[in-house]
Amino acid sequence: MWLPILGLLFGAIIGSTISFQIPVIYVKYMSVAVLASLDSVFGGVKAVLEDKFDSTILLTGFFTNTLLAALLAYLGDRLGVDLHMAAVFAFGVRLFQNLADIRHHLLGKTLKNYDAHKRIS
Amino acid sequence: MKKWVLPITIVCMISGLLLSLQLRAQSTIVSNPISERNQALIEIINKLENETDVIQSQISKIREEIETIEERKSYGQEDIIQLQNKVQKARKEAGLIPLKGPGLVIILDDNKAGLQAAQNDDPNRYIIHYENILNVISELKLAKVEAISINGQRIVTSSEIRCVGNVILVNTTRLAPPFEIKAIGNPSFLEDILLSGEFELLKNLGFPVSYTKHTSEDPIEIPAYAGSFQFKYIKSD
Repeated sequence: MWLPILGLLFGAIIGSTISFQIPVIYVKYMSVAVLASLDSVFGGVKAVLEDKFDSTILLTGFFTNTLLAALLAYLGDRLGVDLHMAAVFAFGVRLFQNLADIRHHLLGKTLKNYDAHKRIS
Repeated sequence: MKKWVLPITIVCMISGLLLSLQLRAQSTIVSNPISERNQALIEIINKLENETDVIQSQISKIREEIETIEERKSYGQEDIIQLQNKVQKARKEAGLIPLKGPGLVIILDDNKAGLQAAQNDDPNRYIIHYENILNVISELKLAKVEAISINGQRIVTSSEIRCVGNVILVNTTRLAPPFEIKAIGNPSFLEDILLSGEFELLKNLGFPVSYTKHTSEDPIEIPAYAGSFQFKYIKSD
């Protein structure tokens, strides 16, 4: 349960200690990639809670979404279309949807426990 | 361990990595690389100017040493005393000795009041440019000026007067307005030429320019040239 959070912290620490820095021109595309990866994380958590988790789907979804988001944003800039905004919108909506679903599930679980507890006592 | 823990941990780790990288990149954008670069350049300039000061004080110290050595050696020798007088004269002509004498002190300043009154106008029309100073100096030279300094910088044969951004370089030292030009020479000659040239032009354009006449009872003091002369290519037969 705590391993993913530790993983997140570990990744953040690595990212802030290594000297590598994203070139300024790519920061915009990177922001979309970050959003896509966060979306995948919450999507994975939601799938776990719904008992529909499949590691292949999660991992392929994570990498393809992240890369495609960045690539599409880049392509959009070349074409003069703000695909960057479309990606932000799409992933943003999904992110909030996933978060809402996770909350519902967690609430549902605790409520069930609460009910069971009441029945026993 | 449940089967979902490992994949989610991997995904979380990569997300954390991307997130922190992005945060760092974003914070450097907010802190504006151009102004940071300018800050670095300003520090470099300040450091170099400090170095120049140190080296200039070394030059003047070494010059003093040379003088004392020359004086000590020449005791009682007629030829050497004559040579020394020649050297001293050459030094005076080269601008290596602080001088006193009658002349003019001219002050040129930016037309700040004019700029305030016409804020939409081109500000370049209200500041003293290096050309103005060059013209004034050329005119003074025409009136047989014998020594000139601008804001304490002695004008010698190798002195430049050059615009660099919003300051003026003289003897590779940055000068800012008001510019005080000291000129030793015949005060009335200098005044005559001053009042029929660039100075009068600036005055008519509304610049706050002024000058004071100094007689030999109330002499102007002009400092020595603090830098060094470098001759690499010239040869005399």
